[in-house]
Parts: sequence; structure tokens; C-alpha cells
Amino acid sequence: MRRHLVELVLFSTYAELRAETARSYLGLLWWILDPAMMMAAFWLVFDVILKTGGPDYIPFLLVGITLWQWMKSCITHGGYAIWSNLPMVRQVPLPPLVFPLVAMLSDTVKFCFIFVLLVAILWALGYPPNDKYWALPILFLAVFLAGAGVGFVVSAVVPLVPDLRFVIEQVLTVVMFLSGVVFPLSQVPDSLKWLMAINPVAVVMDDARAILMHNQLPNWVGLAKIYAISIVLCAAGVLFVRWMAPRFPKLAN
Amino acid sequence: MSDIIVELEHVGIAFHAQRSMGGGRFWALEDVSLQLRRGERLGVVGRNGAGKSTLLRVLAGILVPDRGQVRRRNVSCQLMSLSLGFVPYLSGRDNAILSGLLLGLRRREITARLPAIREFSELGDFFEQPISTYSAGMNMRLAFSVAMQAEPDVLLIDEVLAVGDAEFQRKSGAALRARMGEGQTVVLVSHSEDQIAQRCDRVLWIEHGRSVLEGERDAVLAAYRQAAQPAPAAA
Repeated sequence: MRRHLVELVLFSTYAELRAETARSYLGLLWWILDPAMMMAAFWLVFDVILKTGGPDYIPFLLVGITLWQWMKSCITHGGYAIWSNLPMVRQVPLPPLVFPLVAMLSDTVKFCFIFVLLVAILWALGYPPNDKYWALPILFLAVFLAGAGVGFVVSAVVPLVPDLRFVIEQVLTVVMFLSGVVFPLSQVPDSLKWLMAINPVAVVMDDARAILMHNQLPNWVGLAKIYAISIVLCAAGVLFVRWMAPRFPKLAN
Repeated sequence: MSDIIVELEHVGIAFHAQRSMGGGRFWALEDVSLQLRRGERLGVVGRNGAGKSTLLRVLAGILVPDRGQVRRRNVSCQLMSLSLGFVPYLSGRDNAILSGLLLGLRRREITARLPAIREFSELGDFFEQPISTYSAGMNMRLAFSVAMQAEPDVLLIDEVLAVGDAEFQRKSGAALRARMGEGQTVVLVSHSEDQIAQRCDRVLWIEHGRSVLEGERDAVLAAYRQAAQPAPAAA
């Protein structure tokens, strides 16, 4: 039974990626064009027009957007996955966790491609790969756990209250601006620093830039806290989905 | 007989009437009981909205009863679902694998059956093409060929006895009849009394979500016909 589910999740992930590249005219190219266009927009606003970018703005932005896009897509794609698969949920008795998991895995595969490209661009910009890269997998696991935790919780609620989708996009935009994805948080007042320390997105952004741009290791204590928060979120999300599972086959989307 | 593999006792299923808060519930199934024995072919009759399809989804383990009990020996019950999980941009082969996995088959089992699926669906080289290029008939042929690969202990059929054009209808109908003749335990839901009369040994009659009568085919069907026509024709 377990093995069968693993096969199902893996093949569904392959199918999703395959279908996505076949669905659009430029196919795979969109995996890169999409974040590139977003980056260009922020660069235009913050660096060219507002002149708040600073000297390292382009690599700063590249790292921020690449990681944020991955985390955000785990939350939105994973979060909407049960809802968008309700027709199938009504037909086969499957553990509903399969659907968000497939969405998150396919976004992770995409991230891996984009990350290789990111390393190449950073190198070209004068930030060659360094010996602190070994810490990256530890950091990435934290990003995935945080994204998956939120994604699981969202995936359990959206089938019941689909209206939530309209709120989530907005909330995520606010989170992005409050987490140092597109501009540094150095101006955050001291009274709010504690909030930034437990904001998983802000912490992983800092750590990723430390490794990729400044040849430094992550702040392990800070990262450990993020791990704890993310693992609790994941466990809560998984339990929540399982608790809600009997209700999903009765819902229409 | 003691060879009961699935048993429903006073099962009720409630749906929320609407999504908004405070919406009432309605009971799609109110009180249904049945016993299914190994190798038996049970037909379910009842008018539109009687709860026949909901009942199949309870048997398949998709819906969990809100009241009453389902007792299932260690058997797999599966709804015969056509085009389950089909993705338009994938090839017939990839869709067959995906659908097979969703139907509960292991990857190697599906791989072993791919030649048979390709053969039965008569798709030829189209099997490697995206199914978005298929005609509706081709799509149905692939869907049926894949669905037939699942081998649950109890096959649950909701009105899909023959699909596709006339020729494939004969072929798919024959394949399914062969399957039912091989001792496969089947629960068949149909509007058509003829279908039930031809294919089933026992019949359950449900009305407004309640089981009215369960028993030997001819007796139940006779009672059902009588109720459906309050003024019985003399002949």
C-alpha cells in the first residue's frame, strides 16, 4: 500500500511537469521567464526608479525571488491541490495528502532547475560557488518544510471555503514585502526585530544570501528555530488534512 | 450462507445542502442495509435520486457513513471509473499508467498490461500521442481498456456497461459480461431493469435513501415493477 502510494506520487509529479511543459507554447522556458519577468519589475521599481537598491541589489533580488517563488508555489499550488482535484477525490478512495504533495514536489523539481541557473548567473556576476554550499541542502529543507506546512493547512481549508484563495494571494504578497525578499530589512525598528527572527521567510532569505553571496554559514540557532516552527506546522497540517479527509468527497468544487 | 464480504447496517450519508455557513443537511442515504456475498452479482434498482450512486461510493470506501456501520472483510471494492485522472496533454501510454496507479495497480503490473491495453483500445500508433488529439470515441476506448485492468475483489459498476461506437460497444459489453461470468463479485447500479434482470442474481431496491427490499432477483424486480405502476396492466 505504502509503496503503491510512493509510485503514484512520483508518477503524478512526472505527469504534472510533463503536462505543464506541453500545455504552453514556450513550455519549459516559462519556468525561467516567469521569475525573470518578476525580477525585472522589482529591479525597475526599487533600483532604477526609487534608487533604494544598493550595490548588490541584483544578486540580492535574484536569490530572494528564486527562493520565495518556490516557497510561495508550495503554499498556493499545494494549498489549492485538494480543491482542484475534488472530482477525483469523489471517485477514488485516496489519502488526500497525495494531491498537495504532488504539487509541492513538482514545484521543487522546477526550483532545482532554476537554482542551477541561479548559481550560474551569480558566478557570472562575481559570486563564484564557495565551500559553504554544503549548508544549502539544510537550508532548502527548512524552506520546503515551512512551505509544505503552510500549504497542507491551506489545502485542508480551501475545499470548504474556496473564497480563501482570494485572500491568500494578498496575504502572501504582504508576507513577501515584510520578509526581505525584494528589499533589505535593515530598517526594521528594533521593537519588531523579534517578529523577523521567527518569520521563516526572513530567516531563510538572510541565510541563503549569507551562503551564496557572502561566503558565510547560516545562523544555526535562528535556523533551528525555523526548523522547529516548520515541523510543528507540517505535523499540524498533515493531521488537519487527515481529520478533514471524510468531508472532502462530499464537496463540489 | 456465511460468506458475507461486505455488510451495510442502517447506513446514512448526509450532505450539506449548500456551502454557506449554517446550511442544512440532507440525507442522500437514510437507512440502507445490505449483505454482499463472495461471487454474487447484486443489482441495485431505484428511481433517480434514490441514492444508488451514493451507495456505490459507500461500498467503494470513498464516503464514510455518518450513521450506521459498514463491515468489510479484507476485500478491495472499486468503482469502475472511466478516464480516471486523464490529463489531455499526456500520451495514451502515460495516461494509462497514471490511471492504473489511481485504480490501485502497482507500476510493474501496469507496465505488464500496457500491450494488452494498447491492443484492446485499438489505438495503434496513437497510443503514443497526447490524448488531446483523440476523438471522443478513441478516448472512451482507452478509458475502458484501462478501467478493465483493475482487478478488485468487488467491482462496482454505475451504468457503464458499454461505451464507444457500435462495434466497440459490443466488444466492451462482451468483455464486461465475460468478467461477470468469471465469478467476479459485482454490484451493478442501473436504471434499466433489463440490464439488472440479465446480469444479476440478487437485487436491492432502494427508494428515497432507504432500502425497501433485498432478495432474490425475480421477486424484488416484480415488487419494484408493481410499485412503479400502481395500476397494474391486466396482461
